[in-house]
Amino acid sequence: MRLHVSIAVFLWMTSVAVSGCRKPAETPKADPLLVAYDTEADWTDAQHVISLSYQQAQGKRIFYQHCVWCHADATPAGPSNRSNLTPVPPLLNDGATLNAESDEYVQNIITLGGTAMGKSAMMPPYGRMLSAEEIRSVMAFTRAIAQPPYQPPARAASQYSVK
Amino acid sequence: MPAEKMGKLTDRTRLIFAVSSVVFLAVLAISPFKDFRREWKQYNRSYLRFAQGRDTKKLLADYRPDIGQIWLPGMNVVDRCTTCHQGITQASLADKSVPQPFRAHPPIPHNVRDWGCTVCHRGQGPATEVAEAHESTLAWEQPILPTRFIQASCGTCHYADLPQTPQLTHGRQLLGELNCQGCHRLPGIDRPAMLGPDLTNIGTKVSREWIYKWLKEPRTILDKDGNVTVIGYETKEEPRMPKFRLTETELRGLSAYLSVQKAKAVVPYKIDARIVAAWSKNPELISQGELRFRQMFCTTCHSLAVTRAGETKLIGGEIGPELTKVGSKVNADWLIAWLRNPQGYLPHTRMPRYGWSDEDLYQVAQYITTKLTDSDLLTGVPQLGQPTEEEIQLGRRIFLEKGCASCHSIDGLNPQKDFGPDLSALGGKNASELEFGAAKIPHNLVAYIQAKLQDPTSVNLAARMPQYNWNQPDLDAVTTALLSMKGPPATSALQNLVVPSKEVAFHPTGSFGEVYERYKCYTCHKFNGYGGDLAPDLSYEGSRAQRQWLVDFLRNPQTLRPTLILRMPQFNMSDKDAATLADYMTMVLQHPLANPGSVDAKQFTPAMATLGKQLYEVKYQCQSCHTIGGTGGYVGPNLNNAGGWLTPAWIEAWLRNPQALNPLTIEPRRNFTEDEVRALTAYLVTLRQSIKPQKTASTTATHAAAQGAGR
Repeated sequence: MRLHVSIAVFLWMTSVAVSGCRKPAETPKADPLLVAYDTEADWTDAQHVISLSYQQAQGKRIFYQHCVWCHADATPAGPSNRSNLTPVPPLLNDGATLNAESDEYVQNIITLGGTAMGKSAMMPPYGRMLSAEEIRSVMAFTRAIAQPPYQPPARAASQYSVK
Repeated sequence: MPAEKMGKLTDRTRLIFAVSSVVFLAVLAISPFKDFRREWKQYNRSYLRFAQGRDTKKLLADYRPDIGQIWLPGMNVVDRCTTCHQGITQASLADKSVPQPFRAHPPIPHNVRDWGCTVCHRGQGPATEVAEAHESTLAWEQPILPTRFIQASCGTCHYADLPQTPQLTHGRQLLGELNCQGCHRLPGIDRPAMLGPDLTNIGTKVSREWIYKWLKEPRTILDKDGNVTVIGYETKEEPRMPKFRLTETELRGLSAYLSVQKAKAVVPYKIDARIVAAWSKNPELISQGELRFRQMFCTTCHSLAVTRAGETKLIGGEIGPELTKVGSKVNADWLIAWLRNPQGYLPHTRMPRYGWSDEDLYQVAQYITTKLTDSDLLTGVPQLGQPTEEEIQLGRRIFLEKGCASCHSIDGLNPQKDFGPDLSALGGKNASELEFGAAKIPHNLVAYIQAKLQDPTSVNLAARMPQYNWNQPDLDAVTTALLSMKGPPATSALQNLVVPSKEVAFHPTGSFGEVYERYKCYTCHKFNGYGGDLAPDLSYEGSRAQRQWLVDFLRNPQTLRPTLILRMPQFNMSDKDAATLADYMTMVLQHPLANPGSVDAKQFTPAMATLGKQLYEVKYQCQSCHTIGGTGGYVGPNLNNAGGWLTPAWIEAWLRNPQALNPLTIEPRRNFTEDEVRALTAYLVTLRQSIKPQKTASTTATHAAAQGAGR
């Protein structure tokens, strides 16, 4: 009987010792700016730096090349063209306006232009100039810098999910 | 043997046997237990639990409960990263809410399965433990590359600049701009003809005191009160000369040595006495000089400190040095000689040779020497007096010891080459190959590069490298560029992946070539891929612009874009030079899609023009970006004089596909029908406005945009 107890104790101690040897798997510390491909300062608060993924960073590049002239108040060349236009184009970070629009709508208005979507003809179509992937990346950048922040529509619950 | 005894003995033997069996069993049990508890198996199990909680079908079908490996023998890739990073190619796991290590890789142009992970991210591919894969341990030396510097990995194969990697491109540019290639061997960073100025005649240009101050602290920029202060690298307009840690004796010696470099004395230019007599007493002299300075658009390349609303800023270009206090720096005779013929002093300078009238020269030189000055510029510099022979000898020795001859030349001194270490394989070095000295920094390559760049003495007290002052984005960009330099590719398969950068040059000969070199057109304009990017690409200018317009523009440049504050300088070009340039461009710089002879403007009818106007204003609303007659947008060039400027063939080709003519243009490519193209062209060619020759001062500020109307 004592033998059984001692064996059990021995096994238990061994298992404790062995599991003590193994460090629990660490998750690397996630500093969003350290792992960002690029960053963009929040347009409404320069102290708040938003980290961008590769796709969003490509969108940022395309935005500052093609879109910034009318969809921002400051441009690389200085004054913005936004004040010249009626209706005034939304700022790209204008979450109050753009968050409500679906991805499909945003993709379409960039690709087909304002006229095709019943908006101002001043928005030109970019479908022959930018690839669908580039347009998606611009949209990803828009979503990343939106203020108030953009919340993607909730994922439909899976029919397989076990509760 | 008595039974009791036998029983006792048996018991003891049994006990020993039992204990040793238990120990043996325990040891045996540990190994499967250990195996069960392996890190990667834990991740496998938790991935399985995670996958069961999601859209299980695809995730579960793709689930492999083994060590996953991407093996690419040609590229030396054995990557077991997918053992834990199971969802790396699962599109449904791209969301940020998916916990790591299961999240999908963000979309990039390269497929993980074809490239592996360590090619870009570094780290140890074959390792199956978190720490060993990501960090450097005793046995493994290559830690994972922080994502902040990931663009370095693009540059390891892509020697040509990619639009997708702005940080890398910026870093490479900085390495070139800061003249790192003066001392180091850096693959892909060209060594220009002139790194620092030739100092053979520096004694004729500046005083010994100025040299002393410059050597002591070259980084003089303006503070908010407009004073020159000595602070760090904060504006882009800082000099390229880094700070060398020089002692007082060294400063005296070097300034003595340099101040006696007067191989060729300045021959003072005699300005016509009648002009001096007419202007020297005129109170308008200085303001007239300032006006000419502005009219000639010196600020396109040089910056000046301007105070507006209490804030002092440097305004102007970055091609030449900042000139706010140049009047206190240079010798007046030297200045006039320089303005007349910069190449006479520095053969390689990018400063164009202007055609000066004596009147302009006198006024502008007077303006520079009286207005662009600062009486306090040399405050704090001791009285140095005449250089002694000892000081000069010491200075010469220091000049060579510090490696000055790597960037500067002086007649009679051999240029120094490879003064600093070869950096062409720095990015691939292991920590054990680096000297950390007493620096309290993590022992890895990234930390080493950053510490060395910020303060070279921190890792090596005897470092000869001068001091640079960085802002964080620039430091990271240069670090990225250095990390990208991993030396020649290790395998032939990697060698085949290299995308080389193209080397181009455009140096035409003949009379055009001579004028092109004199005005240094390539400093700002691009020709067939060669040249600067400050001003429009002129590779196809002959297809775009009409010859007469080119001549008028060269004689009297106008701003075509409403928001630009920089403009082509007025070179006071002779009619002959303007004609030479215009003729060459019209004849040679043509685009195959836009042959000016192919479209005859006579075919356009007024009805077509009316339709074109309607399309312009209503259907396509081109006025959102282009200005005609003072109304319209700021994005594109103004079209006031489109009919006098552009060839109809260019307009048509441009409307069909702008990117075919200029791949970088932001003009959106529309889906015009052929009739619409013709109608719009018919309308645009009716827009005319004369470029008036510049007679009075007031025309500089009010550009064509304000003057109005096309007919």
